[in-house]
Amino acid sequence: MSHHVTFKDLPQGGEKFEPAKGGKLIGTLGLFGLLGIAASAYFFFTSTDTFAYSWLFAVFFTFTFVVGGCFWILLHSASNSSWGVAVRRIWENLANMVVPLAIFASPLLLTAVNKPLYEWMGHHRTAAEHAAHADHPTTVKQALHHMAEDNPHLHVLVTKFGYMNLTNGFSWYSRFVAYFLILWFIARTLRGKSLQQEQDGDIKHTIWSRQFSCIVLLPFALIVTFAAYDWLVGLDYNWFSTMWGVYIFAGCAWASMAVSILVVTWLRGLGYLQKVVTDEHYHLMGKLLFAFTVFWAYISFSQYFLIWYANITEETRFYLIRNTEGWRAVSIFILLGHFIVPFLFLLSQKRKKNPVVISLGCLWILFMHLVDIYWNVIPERGPSLGIGVWVAGAWVQDIAALCAVFGTMSWLYLRGLAKYSLYPWRDPRLIESVNVIN
Amino acid sequence: MSTTLKRVHGYLAEFDSVKDLYHAAEHVRDAGYQRWDVHSPFAIHGMDDAMGNPRSKLPMFVFCGGITGTTVAFTLETITQTNFWSHIGLGFLQKIVETYPTVVQGKPTDIWTLPAFFPVMFELTILFSAFTTLFGLLALIGLPRWNHPLFVSKNFSKFSDDGFFVCIEARDPKFSQEGTKSLLEKAGGKNIELVEDEI
Repeated sequence: MSHHVTFKDLPQGGEKFEPAKGGKLIGTLGLFGLLGIAASAYFFFTSTDTFAYSWLFAVFFTFTFVVGGCFWILLHSASNSSWGVAVRRIWENLANMVVPLAIFASPLLLTAVNKPLYEWMGHHRTAAEHAAHADHPTTVKQALHHMAEDNPHLHVLVTKFGYMNLTNGFSWYSRFVAYFLILWFIARTLRGKSLQQEQDGDIKHTIWSRQFSCIVLLPFALIVTFAAYDWLVGLDYNWFSTMWGVYIFAGCAWASMAVSILVVTWLRGLGYLQKVVTDEHYHLMGKLLFAFTVFWAYISFSQYFLIWYANITEETRFYLIRNTEGWRAVSIFILLGHFIVPFLFLLSQKRKKNPVVISLGCLWILFMHLVDIYWNVIPERGPSLGIGVWVAGAWVQDIAALCAVFGTMSWLYLRGLAKYSLYPWRDPRLIESVNVIN
Repeated sequence: MSTTLKRVHGYLAEFDSVKDLYHAAEHVRDAGYQRWDVHSPFAIHGMDDAMGNPRSKLPMFVFCGGITGTTVAFTLETITQTNFWSHIGLGFLQKIVETYPTVVQGKPTDIWTLPAFFPVMFELTILFSAFTTLFGLLALIGLPRWNHPLFVSKNFSKFSDDGFFVCIEARDPKFSQEGTKSLLEKAGGKNIELVEDEI
C-alpha cells in the first residue's frame, strides 16, 4: 500500500527487451542447440531406432511448455482474471512457440522414425500390404483381423481401428497436423488481440478474448489429451489409461508456470519489469505452482492406484517395466522429487515471495518435469526394440536430442521476447495487476 | 450513589469510513500500542499491515496437525495389516494389537502395500489439518466466551452494520486516560467513550 503505481509511472510503449543484454544465456542456449542439432543429425543416420525415442522425448518435453503457456492465457482470459496481466505476454510468447515446435516435431511423420516407436503402425502397414495383394477386395481392417488369427495380440488393434489407423480422415497423421494447426490458431489469435489492444487500448479486446477463450478451452483440452494418447500411450498399443490426458496436462501447467517464473526472474535481473512485477505476483504464481504440485500427485497416484489394485495384464505392463531394474529407483525418485519436496518447499509464503528462492525451486521443478517425461517415454525403448531393459549408452542420444530441441527452442523463445513489449502496456487492467495484493 | 465496582476496559472511538479507520490504525500502530483492535462490519484488505500485526502462528499448528494425521494413519494401517514394524525391529508394537493382514489381489503384506494406504493417509491428513485449523483458530482468538466488555457500549452495536471502531485496551502498558484519548481524537475518532465493565 505504500506506493500505488499509476500509468504515469510506467514507460510509454512498454518495455522492449534487448537480446544483447541477456546475451550470455541466449548464446549458451543457442550453442547447445547447434551442437545438439549436429549430434542429432549424426545419431539420426547412425542409430535411427534408438534415437527416435530420444527425439520423441525431447519434442514432447518441449511441447508440454507450449501447451502450458497456452493453457495459462486461456485460463487467465476465461476466468476474467486481472492479476496476471503483467506476466501475460510471457505466456503468449510461450504459446506461440508452437510454430518452430511443429518443425522439430515433423521428423515423427517419417516412417523411419515412427516405425520403431509405434509397433501398431508396423502391423497396420503389413495389413495394408496384405490388403493390396489379396485376391479379392479386402480392407485394411479385414486384413488386420485375418492377421489376428495367427497373432491374438492383434485383436486389440482391430477393436481400436477406429482411432488407431493411418489412412482415413481421422488418422494418426491428420490428427498430428490438426493439433499444431489448432494450437497455432489459438496462440496466434490471443496474442493478436493483445497486440491490437496496444494500438487502441480498448477494453473490447479483453472481452473478446474472454469469450474466445471460453469457447476454445474445450477443443484445447481435447488436443492435449489426444496428443498425449497419440504420441505416448501409442508406444504400447495394448495399454490404456483414462487418467492419461489429465496427467500430462497437470505436468504441462506445472512446468510452464515454473518456466514463466524463471523467465520473469531472469528479465528482472536484467533490469526489466521492475515496476510491473512485484513479490505479490511471485506469491500468486507460487500458489498456482503449489496447486499443480498437488494436482499432479493426485492424478498420477490415481492412475497408479487403479492399475495397481485392479492388476489387469494389459494395464500393469506400463508400471511393470517402470518398476524393473534401475527404473524402480527413478519411479521412487519421482514420488519424492516431483511431489514431496516441492510440496514442502512451496508451503511457506516467505519462500514463494522471495524471487531468488522460488526461482531455485523452479529450476528443481523443471528438472523433475524432465525426469517425469523421460520416465514416461524412454523405458519403452528397450522392450519395444527387444534390446533389454536399459539401453547402454543411449542417454547420450537423449541429451543430444534434448539440446537440439529444447536448446534451440529456448534460444528462439528468449530472442523472440524482443519482438514486442514485455507486458501488454495498454491493457486497461494493467494497473490493477501491478498493484495486486493477495 | 452506585455501589457497583467497575473496571476500565479501554477507550472506544468511532470512525466514519474504512479510509479513516485505516489511517487511525496506522496512527495507533506508530504510537506503539500493543493491546488494541479494530472492529468493522467486513474484512479490510491491508489492515494487517496498517495494524502492524505479525504473521499468524496458525499455519505452524496446521502443519503439525497435518503431519500428525499422516503419521497416525500410517501407523494404524501398517501396525494392523502388515509386518513392517517387525521388519524394522519393533515387533513388540505389533503384539500390542492383533495384526491381521488383509490379502487382496495377491498384494504383499510388507511396506510395499503402501499405495493401498495412501487414501486413508490423505484423508486423515486433511481431517487433522481441518480440526487444527478450526480449534487452533478458536483458541488463538479466545472463543468461545460468555460476554465481551465492549458490549456494554450501546454505540458499539453498530460494528456489525455500518460502524468502524478502534478500541485501545486499558491493560496496554502505554494506556493513559489523557494520552490515549487525545491520540484517538487526533486520529479523527468520534464518539470517544471510556468503556467500563462491571466486575
